[in-house]
Amino acid sequence: MIVYLLRRSAFLLVSFLIAMVAIFVLLRLLPGDPSNALLSVTATPEQIAAAQAQVGADRPVLEQFLTWFGQLAQFDLGESFISSLPVGPEIAARLSVTIPLTLISFAVALVVSLVAGVVAATRSDRWYGILISGFSQLGVAVPVFWVGILLVSVFAVGLRWLPSSGFPRDDWADPADALRSLTLPIVTVALVMSASLTRYIRSATLDVMGSDYLRSARAQGSGYSEALWRHGVRNGAVPVISILGIELATTFLGAVVVESVFGLPGLGSMLLRAIEQHDYPNIQGVLFVSTLVVLIIGFVADIAQRLVDPRLRLSISGNR
Amino acid sequence: MSATVIAQTIEPRALRPRSWTLVVGLVLVGAVVATALVSLLWLPFSPEDTTGSRLEGPGGAHWLGTDRLGRDLATQLMIGARIALLVGLGSVAVGAIIGITIGLTAAFAASWLDDTISAALDVVIAFPVLLLAMLIVAAQGSSLASVILAIGLAMSAIVARLTRVLTKRVLAEQFVTAARTSGTRWPGIVVRHILPNIWPTLSVNLALQFGVAVLAEASLSYLGLGAPPPNASWGRLLQEAQGTVVTAPIGAIAPGLALIALVLGVNFVADGLRDVADPSRRRSR
Amino acid sequence: MKKHTAFVALGLATTLLLAGCASGADSSSSEGASAIEIGSLYEPQNLSNFGGGGQGVTEAFNGNVYEGLYKLTDDGSVEPLLAESETVSEDGLTYTFTLHDGVSFHSGKALTSADVKASIEAVLSEDSQSARKSSFSAISTIETPDDATVVVTLAERSISFIYNLSYIWIINADATDLETTEDGTGPYTLGEWTRGSSLSLERFDDYWGEAASTDEVVFNYFTDATALSNALLTDEIDIVTSVQSPDALTQFTDNADYVVSDGESTTKEILVFNDRVAPFDNVDVRKAIYSAIDTEKLLNSIWGDYGTLIGSMVPPTDPWYEDLTQENPYDVELAKQLLASGGQPDGFEFTLDTPSYDPHPVVAEFVKSELAKIGVTVNINTISSDEWYTKVYKAQDFTATLQEHVNDRDVVWYGNPDFYWGYNNPQVATWVDEAEASATTDEQTEKLKLVNQQIAADAASVWLYLYPQIVVASSDVSGYPVNGLNSQFFVYDIVTE
Repeated sequence: MIVYLLRRSAFLLVSFLIAMVAIFVLLRLLPGDPSNALLSVTATPEQIAAAQAQVGADRPVLEQFLTWFGQLAQFDLGESFISSLPVGPEIAARLSVTIPLTLISFAVALVVSLVAGVVAATRSDRWYGILISGFSQLGVAVPVFWVGILLVSVFAVGLRWLPSSGFPRDDWADPADALRSLTLPIVTVALVMSASLTRYIRSATLDVMGSDYLRSARAQGSGYSEALWRHGVRNGAVPVISILGIELATTFLGAVVVESVFGLPGLGSMLLRAIEQHDYPNIQGVLFVSTLVVLIIGFVADIAQRLVDPRLRLSISGNR
Repeated sequence: MSATVIAQTIEPRALRPRSWTLVVGLVLVGAVVATALVSLLWLPFSPEDTTGSRLEGPGGAHWLGTDRLGRDLATQLMIGARIALLVGLGSVAVGAIIGITIGLTAAFAASWLDDTISAALDVVIAFPVLLLAMLIVAAQGSSLASVILAIGLAMSAIVARLTRVLTKRVLAEQFVTAARTSGTRWPGIVVRHILPNIWPTLSVNLALQFGVAVLAEASLSYLGLGAPPPNASWGRLLQEAQGTVVTAPIGAIAPGLALIALVLGVNFVADGLRDVADPSRRRSR
Repeated sequence: MKKHTAFVALGLATTLLLAGCASGADSSSSEGASAIEIGSLYEPQNLSNFGGGGQGVTEAFNGNVYEGLYKLTDDGSVEPLLAESETVSEDGLTYTFTLHDGVSFHSGKALTSADVKASIEAVLSEDSQSARKSSFSAISTIETPDDATVVVTLAERSISFIYNLSYIWIINADATDLETTEDGTGPYTLGEWTRGSSLSLERFDDYWGEAASTDEVVFNYFTDATALSNALLTDEIDIVTSVQSPDALTQFTDNADYVVSDGESTTKEILVFNDRVAPFDNVDVRKAIYSAIDTEKLLNSIWGDYGTLIGSMVPPTDPWYEDLTQENPYDVELAKQLLASGGQPDGFEFTLDTPSYDPHPVVAEFVKSELAKIGVTVNINTISSDEWYTKVYKAQDFTATLQEHVNDRDVVWYGNPDFYWGYNNPQVATWVDEAEASATTDEQTEKLKLVNQQIAADAASVWLYLYPQIVVASSDVSGYPVNGLNSQFFVYDIVTE
């Protein structure tokens, strides 16, 4: 296990370094010029030159890269070209929206889909089992933003129960207020996410129920639920854990869409705007954080899976 | 790595009685394909015809009404059908070709190369599709092809991981070992033993990816990437109609329903395919 | 079996509990304070007016946080603000300004002539990105004989000098970090700027003039027009500074809870030709294109019943406006004839570089279908605003493009042959220079009318339409500006009942 852990950590580190270099190189391939975002339609040649100097785009690429890596080593993400604000604190502020959004949606989706998935598998002959299966199929086929727009028109514009967009200025100073702003986004994400999770959990449950060990456990006289609990949960959990990891990462990366629908100042909308403006320090900063988060989610999912699955636990030799 | 790879080998199971889903799926997909084919030969209006008035309601000459410029919505929807199919097929083709090649390479490669490829795939998967799409659009110009390429590339990493783990599983089988020791070269092994054995699982996954691609395109269109009308995707039509959702709700509803129908249909077909491919998984209960 | 039902119930309960405790907060927060909530689509890029802060910073700060020697009022007249009075020498070359008494910056420092000098010089400096820089090329010296007096000497007459001064913010000369902080003299100070979300202004208690009406004003930023109007409908905001789509308006026009104001705008949607290159170096070809486009239908498509047709660069609020909409009438037959006399009887094909944001893509599609009628094929090339600057603006590597020009009095750019559209008529350039050197505004107006007529006769560009300027507000709010002159939005008089 320790050998695996070390190996897996080294792997994480290498992946991350590859990602950082790739991001820097890819961004420099973008045609265009970050100074353009600072110009107006009546800019003079001197103003254009001044804008270029302000963003530092006139410096050699290698120099920019070394500066950036040097800063990174000191946990400094640099300053935005456009706003001149430090990148780190802004990302921290944005994460205070995106992380709760992702995690709460995930938790809600997990609870809903665990129940729904098991019910759909065990009660596939009942109307509610069928209904759940139907909804989960539908949920996987619907674009997230479409669900968001629909929810806004019903619950915000129509019924006036919840705000249509935005996030409190004072952030989480009043948690109830912040949660109110996040309710519709969370429901949107959770609906779509639980649809796909339900399908997987239903599938895993069916596999477990049809498995030989469960049959033999029952044949040996254990109670059905006891057998299900003892063998089923652990075996069923193995593939589900990794699906959870993937879903969590996808939701985190996909937050940009739901943040756009609900006008939330999250990490995704920061990335969107930064890309439009070619604000390299901001793009690099966001990707630094998001790549790290996604790779760590994968790492944790792998470890968790090993801890749960006795067969995987026995093997020492890493990822085979 | 291992966790994520195993996850991809268990796909969500089909719903209820198999034949039912396959039939519904085929009907839905068939309707979209038929619409797309008809749109090649005949359209109610020219897509660039702006003679209609602004935001006409459904009924009359314009069955589903018109958009802001007075263009026929039904026409746009029909063209959208062929664009949706193009996005789905195009992305899956790009994803499959690149993904299967990389996956096979990793599976056959020495341990260090295998590890490197796996690390690189992890990185690609951690890379937001949005940024990938924007990079390609910036380099290639804003077109449908750019979006298809971006979605296909993102998909290829997932396909590669799946191919790799499936291939490794087949490689461990005795008949392959036998073939190897008896001197069959690796291209022979791939064609004769690997592909036929991994294809059933892989094809179901690719069919599911079709739906994912169509949805991804819609999201990218919503964020402002993707080609504008008169040759717009359904996702783009949704984005355009968002501002007129109060005055002309049909413009937002119709493309949305079309999109759902196609993705639902393809997922149903994928479920049905799985049962054909792997009858052992058919539920006995 | 019952156990499973219980699970479902548990799941539902959890969800409802979450939603419930969230909506329970309804009454407790946000409504208590008397802050005016403003909704806008234009978030500042940074807080500096000459570091490329953009339209957003003008909207939030001009007249609210920063003040000039003069101000351009909402009805378009120029009034003294920090300057109490001015005297102009006989030859029109020396301006002596006396500053208002008892003005202090938000930092507490008293305003002196040195700050005024430094502020003007900052706009003139090498690295200034101020859009106004070129308006001040006539300045030769700035002197400060005492703390309350500024003397500016011009090299040549500049009739717009006072008007142009209304754009220059007077900033504390010792202030630093102006991209993220401020130090102005206005009735409001910067409260908090949450990037991607909002910017708040707080009343400055030591303001030299009449105190602002409301303690706190907040600009809330949105990225799309639908979200903006939803926020107004759900009472999250009180005012929308500039509505960008007519479709949302039906919800407000028939509703006694809201007031829709249709004000004056200076924003023009233009089909810009590259007048240097074939075939648009030919006047007849340009006029043919102009006459082939039904601008009335276009305006209706984009704005419904709002907006104004213009026949030239000059909006009705500029003193030298004339109705020139019939100079290039919509007439397809005429267009075909002009095309033939321009040497293109069989039509031609060109690429239209179209910025990817609204309304340009829709306009491009409309232009494409209109020009198809006279045999001209348009290839729409969608580009980002970033690409627009690189390709169209800087490299001038384009045949035709679409762009909105927001400022008033900007017809003078047709006098600059190096400008991106490359309109080169020496007569027009001379008139523009003469207008600026005029001794009287009548003379200036007369010259600029000539410019106006000439560029219309030459169809230097196609001026498709003038945007409407629509402010929508809750009916219990009053005192807000209704005209969108140069994106200003004075907030100090706004009150809620």
